[in-house]
Amino acid sequence: MTMQYKSQKMAQNFYTFAVLLFLVQVIVGVIGALQFIWPDFFILKFHIIKTLHVNALVVWLLSGLMGATYYVVPEESQTEIWSYPLAQFQFWATVVTITAVVLGYIWMGFDPQANKTVFGTLILNEGREYIEAPRWADILIVVSVLTFLFNMFMTMMKTKKWTGIQGVLMVGLLFLALMYLPGTLYTKSMVKDQFWWWWVVHLWVEGAWEIIAGALLAFMLMKTIGAKREVLEKWMYIEVGLVMFTGILGTGHHYYWIGTPRYWLWVGGFFSALEPVPLLLMVWDAFRTTREARNVTNKAGLFYTVAHAIFNFVGAGLWGLIHTLPQVNKWTHGTQITAAHGHLAFYGAYVLLVVSMIYVTLPAIRGIKEYDPSRAYAAFWWMTVSMVFITMTLTGAGMVQVYMERLMGLDYEAVKASYNLWFWIFRAIFGVGFLVGVGIFVVDYFTLRERAAIRA
Amino acid sequence: MSNKAARNLFIIGSLIFFVIFLAMTFDTLGQLDKRAPEITQAVDDGKMVWHKYDCIGCHSIFGNGTYFAPDVTKIAARKPKSYLKQFIMDPRGVNAQAVMPKLGITSVEADNLIAFLDWVSKVDTNDWPPKPILATAAGVAGKPLTAGQLVYQTQGCSNCHTINGIGGTSGPDLTYVGGKRDHDWLFGHFKDPQKYVKNSAMPPIDASEEELGQLTAYMLTLKQEVTK
Repeated sequence: MTMQYKSQKMAQNFYTFAVLLFLVQVIVGVIGALQFIWPDFFILKFHIIKTLHVNALVVWLLSGLMGATYYVVPEESQTEIWSYPLAQFQFWATVVTITAVVLGYIWMGFDPQANKTVFGTLILNEGREYIEAPRWADILIVVSVLTFLFNMFMTMMKTKKWTGIQGVLMVGLLFLALMYLPGTLYTKSMVKDQFWWWWVVHLWVEGAWEIIAGALLAFMLMKTIGAKREVLEKWMYIEVGLVMFTGILGTGHHYYWIGTPRYWLWVGGFFSALEPVPLLLMVWDAFRTTREARNVTNKAGLFYTVAHAIFNFVGAGLWGLIHTLPQVNKWTHGTQITAAHGHLAFYGAYVLLVVSMIYVTLPAIRGIKEYDPSRAYAAFWWMTVSMVFITMTLTGAGMVQVYMERLMGLDYEAVKASYNLWFWIFRAIFGVGFLVGVGIFVVDYFTLRERAAIRA
Repeated sequence: MSNKAARNLFIIGSLIFFVIFLAMTFDTLGQLDKRAPEITQAVDDGKMVWHKYDCIGCHSIFGNGTYFAPDVTKIAARKPKSYLKQFIMDPRGVNAQAVMPKLGITSVEADNLIAFLDWVSKVDTNDWPPKPILATAAGVAGKPLTAGQLVYQTQGCSNCHTINGIGGTSGPDLTYVGGKRDHDWLFGHFKDPQKYVKNSAMPPIDASEEELGQLTAYMLTLKQEVTK
């Protein structure tokens, strides 16, 4: 595979930013894991570390998906990006905004009073999980995303080749942009606050992002294996269709206990129990297509693609299913079970998605015909084995917590500080293992080169 | 199925489900205010305090957020307000083992935050969090409660104190308190905790002399049993 349009190299800018933030995310993740054992470890307290951990995650995944889009759309439209300078501007504006937001969080760690109210909104941190970014940053982020979408739309308009892959990709991105808006509303009622907050969080990760994942999965299978577009696109439509049919009303599984009417227990329970179906279909799709594989040059790219499909199903699908029914969720809601699901779901569904896209497209961007995949595999096994064990330790901690706190009535702190201590210790060890994997990946990302060149 | 049919199914199906979701959202929003107390100025100001200090970075509310520190949904219903205020403003001044840092929350902010948490604790959450099965059962099954145990239960002492592993960790563990304190200390302490323990965050117990006597008698039975 070779890169056909020069402007596709814009993808690399976003990939680099994503990879660096990934490293930051995992470093602060290890610090946070140690703070479960020693709360006073490190100069920044846990709430700042946690905010950095989840915000870095969201931003690097979005950055990676934007990079992927800058690669896919010119390829599918068979033309250069409509405006390369606009894309450059959008990239640097995003980097500057995100850096400012991150510095704001860190500043707040040293001086909590610095998070002042200006024009009715908090200036450094809005104090809402995942969407902590303050209002001024919200506006800049929306402008950045709209600029990006406009540029991509104009690129498509140049040739008007409405392929299914780029069409679905754009639907996912548009849905993503729209669903950011309910999160910018301020409501006096904490119940309404949470109600709209889930529109962003749930309809992103179990809606818009899965649509994007469906489109990119089809793209990657087509590029690595050379599978037929017609067949891939048909299954892609069915997969993303089922994502929406189950995921939209599946939002109800977040409306069980936040002060919303009881009918959500039925609606949320029913539809969210079906949410793993499209993810299983994606796994089947990946295997079915891979069986046709003949001369695959980018074996590591294909490997990551299939692994993404599998862990999307296991992490987002199965680990969500185990606690999605209200009868179970009543006991497990708000425990470490949720944290276990969150870790494996984000890793399987989106971390592996972006890393797959990097391994599938980066060789073409750098003009590499065949690269040495050994580091790609090493990174995969370090990251995946570690993440599976992180998930296991958190699931174990969650089960202990459900039993002792929820069923027996022991105090939260007693369970956390004594009974779950070994789980935190093992989690931190596997966290370091994950960091090793990320380190290998980061080195590979910056030094990926022709296999022949390494031999010589 | 043709590609076009699959595409149309995706688009039209998604729109239909989204319209259903919007209709349910409309219905839900109409019901929310009836399921919660009125929002006063203090509650709204308290919500801003909650956001300002990024409380969600460690705690969860309605079970959503971070699981590094206790969920706060029912905290205002379970802990004495005077204790909460003292703890929020200076956690380690109240409990040396506390994990929470001193964030510089002012007295006014603490009052508003507690008003907000009080509002949250009164929201109809479809009975979440559930009452612990075993702890609840321990009070009903087996031997009937003694008069002192009944006072301990009705006063909600176990929200902050632990006996035999069950209860809160905000206050000292009482499992062996009978071996450490005598009758007069316990009885006097219930009436005026600060007179006996400087900076104690415990409020005086609002109960009759007779009930305090029963509670004291119960505390005195809590001793390490030595079998020779």
